[in-house]
Amino acid sequence: MKLSETFNNGLIKENPIFVQLVGMCSTLAVTTSAKNGLAMGLAVTGVLVGSNLVISLIRNVIPDKIRIPSFIVVIATFVTMIEMFMKAYAPALYSALGLFIPLIVVNCIIFARAESFASKNKPIPAIVDGLGMGLGYTVALIILASIRELLGAGTLFEHQIMGAGYQPVLIAIMPPGAFIILGILIGIFNKVRMNNEEKKAAQEEKATVEA
Amino acid sequence: MSLFTILISTIFVNNYVFARFLGICPFLGVSKKTDTAFGMGVAVTFVITLSSIITYFIQKGILDTLKLGYLQTIVFILVIATLVQFVEMVMKKTSPTLYNALGVYLPLITTNCVVLGVAILNIQEEYTLIQTIVNSIGASIGFTLALVLMAGVREQLDLADVPEALDGFPIALIASGLMSIAFLGFNGLV
Amino acid sequence: MNETLKLGLILLLITAVSAFILAASNNATSAKIEEADKIANDEARKETLPDAKDFEPIDKEKLDSIQSSNEGVLEIFEGKDESGEIVGYTLKNLVGGFGGDIQVMTGISVEGKITGMKILSHSETPGLGAKAEEPEFQERFKGIPTENDLVIVKESPSNNNEVEAITSATITSNAVADGVNLAREIYNSQLSK
Repeated sequence: MKLSETFNNGLIKENPIFVQLVGMCSTLAVTTSAKNGLAMGLAVTGVLVGSNLVISLIRNVIPDKIRIPSFIVVIATFVTMIEMFMKAYAPALYSALGLFIPLIVVNCIIFARAESFASKNKPIPAIVDGLGMGLGYTVALIILASIRELLGAGTLFEHQIMGAGYQPVLIAIMPPGAFIILGILIGIFNKVRMNNEEKKAAQEEKATVEA
Repeated sequence: MSLFTILISTIFVNNYVFARFLGICPFLGVSKKTDTAFGMGVAVTFVITLSSIITYFIQKGILDTLKLGYLQTIVFILVIATLVQFVEMVMKKTSPTLYNALGVYLPLITTNCVVLGVAILNIQEEYTLIQTIVNSIGASIGFTLALVLMAGVREQLDLADVPEALDGFPIALIASGLMSIAFLGFNGLV
Repeated sequence: MNETLKLGLILLLITAVSAFILAASNNATSAKIEEADKIANDEARKETLPDAKDFEPIDKEKLDSIQSSNEGVLEIFEGKDESGEIVGYTLKNLVGGFGGDIQVMTGISVEGKITGMKILSHSETPGLGAKAEEPEFQERFKGIPTENDLVIVKESPSNNNEVEAITSATITSNAVADGVNLAREIYNSQLSK
């Protein structure tokens, strides 16, 4: 597979949130504002790239039997490092994301990429895969967070967007809003995909008829 | 906080699934049938309670005394992973019936963020041992409750005529949202 | 057995390497983390007691005796101006709000006036109780004398010990007032001279 394909795969085709439906906990929890969504997305991307690289480097040294505990240790190491650096250089952001930073350890995306991609590929593709998946996750998080922030607080990245008279739809930034808006977003994503597939199928049919 | 308040708060007001978003993956993955949901709930309860007690002693006895607090995440996740394996082995040897009932859920629990989340929260909130145990049990009951309720809803959803694009996961999310609104009603209880 | 030993050793090696890396990055960041913590706390204290330049925790014994009779008091600092004169106190209190505990910091000057209030942490409903964090609400506490009990009212305040509640969040407003009142009582009974 070409590198650009690997990258696109994570960003769109196999988008972790909209298509693979993994890593839901942090997705729902931190998306109360676009800023938090962006920060969480970047933290996950950092861990993903790091753990993918290291796991790919040591993939031939690790016996199959202790694969899983080794991966866990590598991932947890990166998570703890990110945690320390956030605490030191972005304390406000750290306290906003709180518990969900250490919980990146159990985020299924990271483990899934380690197991299904990094442990079978060379370092460069592994990094690209980590970047693609991480950015795909970040983009999804920002979309969800922006909608919630815009509806629930009338702002976007803390800038007032809606007029002063706007009555915020509070439910959007409360927990139920996270579930409902994400459900609708995935529904829309599915619908678009289905339409595209139908179009493609129709085109192919046309092509065969013409031939 | 009194023990009773902790219990009520973790089951209803700050339900780990609906208000804190922990354990969403198994919540959406295993909530298709009521009995499997209940089985998962029991297995999770067992692991959460046991792992919280063990991590409590590790934190107080080893990490705090040696000032190794920064190793918390890595140590806790290893403890949980080991514990799950251990429980699986013991169960297989001593009680095959229980193993057959719960065995399939056990490997899933390692990556269930409720387990690690509760263990870390217990330390962050500076709970005593008793409070830790009560909080863990409350969290597990809350998780099981959410899972079983959701399974009940989804069994009905299977019979409903859902738009194709929303079928399955999206409609389950929307239903969870509605259930989460219901749980908001418990707000202000404690 | 040999196989198991080998696997164990490899795992041990990986864990050791990761522990080593973490220890190194901990060394690199711990001083910075402490500093960031101190800055955040100092900023909160300065906001609630703007006249003070320097903050020091009060006498340990005194704090212990206050804490033993008042639940929810987390820390008390005395604020000093350039000449080292005490100009007031900041008290960090824990009170039960609508969605969980709220940490309230109150600044009180030696003249017996509330100089500021700040919410340090909370889990109140976004858009409703969470508005307690906004400067607009925090401003309402400024300048209130400590003699009388602070009361939350739903209309515009008519007495100088009244504070207007946050719309649709009376429980949160009352909880914050509880925190400030606790600070006020401790100031009146223990700190003022």
